[in-house]
Amino acid sequence: MEKLLQIINAMLAAKNRDALVKLERNFSLRNDIGFDSLDLAEITVRVEDAFGVDIFEDGIVDTIGDVLERIGK
Amino acid sequence: MKDGQEKLFFYDPLPAKAVSYNQLLNDLNRLSVYHPCRLPEDSYTIFLDLLSALIHERELVLLDKDLSGYEIEKLDIPKSFFEAQKLDAVPLTTWSDILEKIKNAHRAKIVLFTSGTTGIPKKITHTIQSLTRSVKISIERQDDIWGLAYNPTHIAGLQVFFQALLNLNSLVNLFELPKDHIHRLIDSYRITNISATPTFFRLLFPAIRSFPTVKRITSGGERFDPLLKSQLQNMFPNAKFRNIYASTEAGTVLAAEGEIFSIKPSHAELAKIVDQELLVHETLLGVSNRFVLDDGWYHTGDRVEIISSEPLTFRFLHRDNEMINVAGYNVNPYEVESVINSHPFVRESRVYGKPNKLIGNVLHCDLVSLDASLDELQIRRFLQDKLQPYKIPRIINFVDTLDKTRTGKLKRS
Repeated sequence: MEKLLQIINAMLAAKNRDALVKLERNFSLRNDIGFDSLDLAEITVRVEDAFGVDIFEDGIVDTIGDVLERIGK
Repeated sequence: MKDGQEKLFFYDPLPAKAVSYNQLLNDLNRLSVYHPCRLPEDSYTIFLDLLSALIHERELVLLDKDLSGYEIEKLDIPKSFFEAQKLDAVPLTTWSDILEKIKNAHRAKIVLFTSGTTGIPKKITHTIQSLTRSVKISIERQDDIWGLAYNPTHIAGLQVFFQALLNLNSLVNLFELPKDHIHRLIDSYRITNISATPTFFRLLFPAIRSFPTVKRITSGGERFDPLLKSQLQNMFPNAKFRNIYASTEAGTVLAAEGEIFSIKPSHAELAKIVDQELLVHETLLGVSNRFVLDDGWYHTGDRVEIISSEPLTFRFLHRDNEMINVAGYNVNPYEVESVINSHPFVRESRVYGKPNKLIGNVLHCDLVSLDASLDELQIRRFLQDKLQPYKIPRIINFVDTLDKTRTGKLKRS
């Protein structure tokens, strides 16, 4: 969770947005974190680099819980 | 066709604005100035500018609202285009009259820009004829309700706009909205037609229900995705699916039910395959001084694989040029590199796409820095006020030297 938070916060910084203090499993990447299609594509690359898992392998993911499930946390 | 004046013309959820055909007519009658070129405030402003250009037979240069000053300068648009012009009153009373006027606006010019292969944006001038060539008008289509899922300053958005307008249909703006909002709008406006990129459709998932009002789904602008087609058939159980090949230069050229295209006998004079490349006849093209024609035929650079020769069927493979398709937008890596290289701490850079399941390609950049303190965030921020968001590399690697080839580029051959 900590590593995922770092990835998301680095991406938010690039968008000139404030960092999140913590992640909740029910946070939606799109609705709550505000990621658009380009951001979602970027997070797949960063998560794959960090965890070796393609989170969109079996279709699109929506929540932090979905991401954690895909990376086996 | 009777005048549908009370009918909704356009609903834009951000900033919650609904305009009827009646109100659009009043707004057109009230216009006293014309803007040949401006950064649009919203989609409705673009539609007013477009209709105004057609009704008064002027030239209109369409710009994306997120273009930077730096990017606009590169387009080399004469300064006078940014000055408002006076409009003579042309009283408009009925929609049948307006539609007739629009269809006969032969002198109006609509200018679009597309990423040129040399790094200089290519200017394409369209006419009402080239923009509406694939528009179909019929009684059966008069109650269609369109979800607008493209930028209205791009060829695909314009084609949706004219298809809807010439049938006096309602348009609902879905472009760049969150998934749940789009789901609600499809239901509440009983949307029947959606034309969009695979990226747009992929972002409609996951969905907990299906959408029975939609009867036609059109996908284009990116590589066809068979898995997506089957997922869309579950999401839109009553919809017919169509995959189109279109370009800024020519608009819609080919349509198919899936990834296998053919050229109808009636189109044999307009499109052909030579040496596994699609060639489009000049009669389909807008006007540009950058088109290189080969005996009246334009080389699209789009390579195909022949599936059968009698009758001819084929599938698109890749482009010959270096353009990178990001979520349906063509990015010219040389344009992006030249901006990155203008950073005082950058020695050189190489921009390339890596395949991505959601948006086709993610932009990567390998960069040789002159200063060890330079980091990814500084580069991203440097690019933010110079390039449209889809042109900004998402992954930046600091390297000691650049490879001679675009190493990260997908090898399809």
